[in-house]
Formats: sequence, C-alpha cells, structure tokens
Amino acid sequence: QGTDVAFAGLKGDSSAPVEIESDKLEVNQAEGFAIFTGNVRVKQGPMRMAAPQMRVDQVAGGTGIERIHATGGVTLANGAEAAESREATYTVSTGEIVMTTDVLLTQGANTIAGQRLVFDIDSGTGRMEGRVQTVYKPGSGQ
Amino acid sequence: CGFSPAYAPGGPAERLWGAVRADDPSDRQGFELVERLEERLGRPAAARFDLTYRIATDIDSVGITGENSITRYNLNGRVDFSLKDHASGQVVTSGRARSFTSWSATGSTVATLSAEEDASSRLMRILADEIVTHLLATSGRWLK
Amino acid sequence: QEKAALVADSVAITGDTTLVAEGHVEVFYKGTRLTASRILYDQPTDRLTIDGPIVLDDGRGQIVLADQGALSGDLANGVLTSARLVLNQQLQLSATELRRVGDRYTALGRTVASSCQVCDDNPTPLWEIRAARVVHDEQERQIHFDHASLRIAGVPVAYIPRLRMPDPTVDRADGILRPSFRTTSALGFGVSLPYFVTLGDSRDLTFSPLLTTKGGRSLGLRYRQAFTTGAIEIEGAFSRDDIRPDDNRGYIDARGTFALPQDFTLSFQFEDVSDRAYYLDYGLGDQDRLASGFEITRTRRDEHIAGRVLKFRSLREDENNDTLPSLVLDATWDRRLDFGRLGGEGGLNFSTHSHWRDSGDDQDSDLDIDTIPDGRDMARLSVLLDWRRNWLLPGGVVGSALAEIGADAYHVADDRAAAGSDTRLHGAAGVELRWPWVRAAASGASDVIQPVLQLVWAEAGNSNVPNEDSVLAEFDEGNLFSLSRFPGADALEDGGRATLGMNWTRIDPAGWSLGATLGRVFWQEANAGYSSASGLDGTRSDWLTALDLSLPGGMTVGQRAIIDEEFGVTKAEWRVDYQQDRYGITSRYVRFRESEEEDRPDPLAELTLNGRYRITDNWTASAGARYDFESNHTTRASAGLVYLNECMKVDLSLSRRFSTSTSVTESTDVGLWVDLIGFGSSVKPGPARVCRR
Repeated sequence: QGTDVAFAGLKGDSSAPVEIESDKLEVNQAEGFAIFTGNVRVKQGPMRMAAPQMRVDQVAGGTGIERIHATGGVTLANGAEAAESREATYTVSTGEIVMTTDVLLTQGANTIAGQRLVFDIDSGTGRMEGRVQTVYKPGSGQ
Repeated sequence: CGFSPAYAPGGPAERLWGAVRADDPSDRQGFELVERLEERLGRPAAARFDLTYRIATDIDSVGITGENSITRYNLNGRVDFSLKDHASGQVVTSGRARSFTSWSATGSTVATLSAEEDASSRLMRILADEIVTHLLATSGRWLK
Repeated sequence: QEKAALVADSVAITGDTTLVAEGHVEVFYKGTRLTASRILYDQPTDRLTIDGPIVLDDGRGQIVLADQGALSGDLANGVLTSARLVLNQQLQLSATELRRVGDRYTALGRTVASSCQVCDDNPTPLWEIRAARVVHDEQERQIHFDHASLRIAGVPVAYIPRLRMPDPTVDRADGILRPSFRTTSALGFGVSLPYFVTLGDSRDLTFSPLLTTKGGRSLGLRYRQAFTTGAIEIEGAFSRDDIRPDDNRGYIDARGTFALPQDFTLSFQFEDVSDRAYYLDYGLGDQDRLASGFEITRTRRDEHIAGRVLKFRSLREDENNDTLPSLVLDATWDRRLDFGRLGGEGGLNFSTHSHWRDSGDDQDSDLDIDTIPDGRDMARLSVLLDWRRNWLLPGGVVGSALAEIGADAYHVADDRAAAGSDTRLHGAAGVELRWPWVRAAASGASDVIQPVLQLVWAEAGNSNVPNEDSVLAEFDEGNLFSLSRFPGADALEDGGRATLGMNWTRIDPAGWSLGATLGRVFWQEANAGYSSASGLDGTRSDWLTALDLSLPGGMTVGQRAIIDEEFGVTKAEWRVDYQQDRYGITSRYVRFRESEEEDRPDPLAELTLNGRYRITDNWTASAGARYDFESNHTTRASAGLVYLNECMKVDLSLSRRFSTSTSVTESTDVGLWVDLIGFGSSVKPGPARVCRR
C-alpha cells in the first residue's frame, strides 16, 4: 500500500496558471481585490484548494494574483496528499502557503496535526508547529 | 467538679445500651472480646453503631534463669477499634486499647497450657473493658 | 497493527520520506515512551535517529537514559550510546553502548552496575559490579553478567566469570541468596550461603549450607508449598559439629494450616530436635518445650468450637518426659445464648480434657522435682451454663445479676491417693454494682471514674479432684471480677466473697492519658488452691494495682503490682518506654516472690533494657541487656550496628548469653549480614546521600 512515499509534501508549481470558480464574485477594481464566495475552488497544476470564501489580491499595478486568503475551513489536495485547516494564505508570487488553526496533514495512513503549517509549493518542503501530533505505523519499512 | 453519672437519665451513655454491634469474631480471641463487650454493652438490638476492631498480640519471654529456661511469658495485646454510625457509616470515635497479661511457665505442661490460655482470655476482657471505658468517656460528644 | 504517536513542538516536512521532529519530542508505542530533544524518522527504513537527552521508559520498571541513539519505529530494536539502564528506580547499569534486541533483551557493553548514589565530588559508589557485558532479560527478569567483578568502595573484592542475578522486580527466582557470616564461641566462624529453588508457582525449597571453623558442618532445609485450601512450611537442619562430635544433630519444625468445609480450620505443628542445646548452639531461639499436634477450630458470631491433640516434649534439665503430661487431648464447644423473656445473655460450654503420663508409677518419686504421682493420668468432662443480666438503676448505677451452674466428671488413674472417678456439681451467683462517672473537659480530655462492688456466693462441690491445670493462678484486672480466678477447671473458688474495684481512665488525645485500677477481694474462707505467690491466698487478697500512663513526648509507663498488707511486693511488672525520633529506650522489670507450689524455688527479679540510637541518617546503633537480680548476673547482653543507605545494608549484631548451668555453655554470637539493595532483595532502601552542588 502506498505509504512508502511518506510526507512527500504537497509539491506543485506556483508559476502555473490559476483558475478560480465560485458561486458568487464581487470585484473591487479600485483596490485591486476580489471576493469569491460559495464553494470556491482554485486549481493550479496538480494542486487543488477549496474553501467557502476566498479573497484574492491582484498584483499591485500589474496583472496576475498576488495572494489568496481563504477562510471558513480550507482543504488543499495534491494526489494522495491532503491538508486542511481553518484558514490559509497562499502567496502565489513566493509559492508559500501558511495554514493556521487545527491544521491536519494526511498522506495515506500517516497524519500530522498541529496549529500552524508553513509550506513551499515549489520545493514541497514545509514545517508544522504548535505541539504537533504525528501518527505513523512502525515496521512498515523494509 | 464536672463529673456526672454516665448512665443517669440524660447522662451521656444512657442511650449506649444495646446500641453497639461488634463485628463478627473470626478466632477465639475475637470471640472472647465480643463476649465481654456484649456483657458490658448488652446484646445489640437494632444497633445504631458498628464497632470494627483489629486485635494484635505478641509474646515476650521473661524471667530467664541461669539454666536458660524461661519461667514466665508476657502476652502483649493491642486492639485498634473504630465506632461507625450504622446509618451514615461515619466514624464517630476510634482509639487503641493496649495492655498485657502474663503467665508462669514453671508448672507442668498442662498447668502452663491452661495458664497461657487464661492469660489470653484475661487480656481480651481487659481490652474489651478499655474499649467500653473509651466509649463511656467520649459518648458525650457523639451520642445524641 | 498498532500505530505509534509522536508529539513535538515542531515537525519539518522535508519533501522526501523523512520527518524531523524537534522540541520536547515524545514517542508512544504500546506502553513504551521515548522522550528526546530531536528525532528524525525515516519512513522506508522505519528508523528513528534520536538526539538526547533520551529517556526510554518501557512501562515495566525499565528506564534507559542515553545521549544518542537510533531505534526502530516500534522502539524495540536499536542502539543507544552512553546509556544508563535504570531498573525499578533502584539499580543503575551504565555503559558506553546499549543495544535493545526485540522487546525482551537489553544488552550493554562494558558496564558499571550499582544502586548507589554517585555524586560528582565522590564518583566511586559504595559498591559496584563491573562487567564486560550485561544482558537484561525482561521476560525472565534476570540480569546476566559476563566477567563481572564486585568492587566495594572502588576496591575489587570478587571476580565472577559468569553471574546471574534476579532484577529488582523479582520476588521469587532460583539462585543464591544473601550470604551471612556468624561467629559463635561453640562453632567458631561460620559462613552460610543459602540457595533458593522455585518448584513451580506454589512450591519452593531453600538449602542453607553452613560451614564453620570449629568443624561445624550443617545443611539447613526449608520447603514451602501452597495449596488451594492452605499451606505448609517445613524447616529443619542436619548438623555435625565438634560440640557433640559423635552425634548427628538437627531439628525439624513443620507447620501448616488448611481450610476445611463449613468454615472449619485445621492447623498442625510438628517440632523435634536432637538435643537440648541445639537451639541455643545454632541461634534458633531459646524454646525449652516442644509441642507437636493438630487443632481444628471454627469461630462464628455466637459459637466457638475447638478440638486438639498435643504431644509435649520438655527440653528442660529438671524435667523428665516420662513423668510429665506428654499427651493432651482437649475439645470445647462454646455457645452464646439469649434468655428470651428472662432477659440478659450468657453461654453454654461443653468441654473435655485428658492428659496422660508415660510412667505407670502411682506415686511420686525423685525422678522429677514436682510432688505429683509420676504416672497420674486424668480425664475430665464438663458442662457449664452462665447467665448475666444488667439493669440501669436510678442514679446511673448499672446493676448486674450473675449466675453459673456446672457439672464435672473426672476420672483419675495411676494415682494411689486419688485414682477412680468423681463427679462434682458447682455453682455461683452474684450481684455487681458499677457506677461510672464521666467528665468531658472543653479541651477534649475526658475522664471516667468507675467504682465497682461485687458480691458472690459460690458452692464448689466437695470432691478431692487433684488440681493439675489451675496451679499457676494470676491476679490482674482480667479476673478481678471473675466468679473463679483459677486459670483452669480443676480448682474452683468456694464460699462467699466481696470484691471492690476502682478504675480511673483519662483520655486526652493532646495531653496525657491514664488508666489506673485498684482492687481487692475479701473471702469468707481462704481458697486452698491459691499459692502464696498468687496474691489470692488467705481470706483477703493482696492489693491489685495497675497503671497505664502515656505522656505527650513519647513516654509510656505500664505497671501492674500485687502488694500484700505489709506493702511487700508479691509480684510486680513494670514497663517504661521512652521513644523519640532519633533514639528510644524500652525497659521491663519483673519481680515475683518464690513459690513451692508453682515450682519456683527462688524469687524472680529481672530487668531488661533495650535502646536504639540513630547516630547519623545511615548509622543506627542498638544495645540490650537482661539482668537477673537474684543471681546478680547478667543473663543476656546484645549490641547491634546497622548501616543502611539507598544501596546497601550492613547489619552487625553481637549477643552474649551467660549461663550458670553445666549443660548449657556460655556463648557469644556475632552475626554479619550484607545486603546489596537493588537485586530483588526484600530490604527497603534507606536514606540516600545528598550530593553537594
């Protein structure tokens, strides 16, 4: 079973195009941000992100997305990897995702739970903090 | 001088009569202790109090002669007791009775054997009387 | 398959197959708990690479402390470096490398094992075992040492190629027990090395070989077996020595108790010894009469049943086993009764007693010092009914009516004067008035004063039944108000008598408490059966005085004295104990007038003193002496020194027995016991040394 590639991390590509769908959209052209509400879904390369509400900030004075701020229970998925938390902020320009409050990272049988996860999409590496709890199955190695 | 008859009407021990039930004995010493307690406190009738007790005895040899024979023994006895209110199970008073009796070992085997057993019976009577005296002494505080 | 939990302040996701946990890292798996500062878990190889300080607690009393290490995911296999294995919080084994093998073995390389506290300023422990290799088998709970050397205060004392010791959690395991060394004047210096063998869960056997410099060769044996309904224990020894060179010497002491149906209990005891002085020569106590036999008893709330057969054998010089009652048969059935409309309570007792003397001679001879016909056998059958009723009289007086009536049937044989059968009817009736006064002080102290008057009239029946079981009468608060103060059934008090008694008891939990009794008995006519030393002879008894005083601060005084009319002491027993935290003294003084009837030709006056003093937290000294004023002779003296700390107990005891008799030699007995705490020894560790920072 597929637990041999543990914690490979939610590797993705922050420079890939971003598609966002939602039930409703409000655009604030003047300040350069938009509010998506109602099962908002974001796609970027292999990575999927979903949340009830997201605020997307445009790059100042240019085109493209600077940052996505999702609230109300966020789930992130990438193949067998999945992560969920109350809130998440994805700074597209740097490729860094910060998930906060009751963060749960699962990969097959292994789970890591904590209060704050800082994650780099491109390198697939990250750090979970705040009395982290991890469950693993011993002896599943060679 | 502050003394009053314990069993006088309105006296502290007046309602002690037949009100105490000692636990069932499991050996001869317990049997004799309970026998004397009931002689003094009456057979329990709808007892309001339960008396639990733990008897411990040990023997010292005394009077060792030049020929190294033991001429006398001391039987030391201790009874840790506590009196509980039957209804609430609350301990109302507790204490330790302590005394000793002795017997000579200079007579024949039969004489020494009955002296030894009589010493144990006397010790149980003394310890039982001490418990009753403790109950009389403290009854003013817990016997409403 | 169970999962393992890992908790840490932070966990790094490295993108590959490893996990790095840092900050108060804890791993829990099946009761085992690991704590460390940093752990790297590599999933494919299932390996935890651990940075210390490491604590691995297997939840079964084994804790490993280490600086570095690598373990499998289930914490069962792996190596920890500069590790310390701690067993049962007592025994510590430190080694450069510790290897966990499966969930059972823990192997250590070059090891130092000790349970002693080690401080930086003084690193050498009091005792240690150094070994090239140590394996702790958690399943068998044994510790195996290879090339072990025992060191005391750093000095190598013994080298043992292969050594196996039980770990501290073991209470029963095969193996050598603690050696003991004993020097006695008769046997010389001796070493005893007991070996314990478990025979399954419910049986075990202990061999105790003893070799002494003066030709003493002894094999001690103890066999224990537990059954579902009871247990037996047989102890004994077979010895050869130079004290009695051509004799086989030894003793046997077998005991057992069993539960029988319907709450009956059977207990048996068998004692035998090769010769009188054996117990004294081998330090087995100073018993001078052997009793073998069995007893069946049952006790319920209102009923007590007991039956026994006893075989006596006296070891005393001045007694002859042929002219002594050696076989005794007793049975008694006690039933407590309520008397319905008559009121009060009482009891019915059926009892029988028989004893036989081997000799058939129906007259006394000079084979023994007593005056009883050498062969006299006796048998008795008795029934006794007693009744007592109490009334609350005006003024708080407790009035009691007492009565008893009984019948005895005797048969005496081998006694020229009294042989034949005889029956006797006897009875007694009396009134007892008790008037307790109580005072409860505000301070919590309470006093009770109890004057008691008892008037009794008794008819002892006319029979010339010889008095065998009521020769040794005592007089104390236990029988001050009894209807008959004879210990047995053969003799009875006759005629009318008045007994006066007064008791003052003070109970003060905070302050001092006291119990004082005074009493005296007045008869119409004297009772011949009471000896002059009982205090109950003549028509007026001696004064009975008893005192039990305990003072705050650890002093207790216990006293009982029987004083005659000229204020001479017939009998006195004093006890004064003074106990403090660091020291304590107990003293016993006995004084007893001589009495031919009680086979005590000389008066008895003996003082026993015992003291203990805790010199330091670890050193405790004790001393004792027993002085006989009659022969102006110290009969016993003893001294002891005990060193007890958290890892070792050394018990040095010296006792000297003085003797004025030919067959019993004077003897000095020096014993040394050394206990290494931490190897399943039953000794409780003492106060540990505190390291100075």
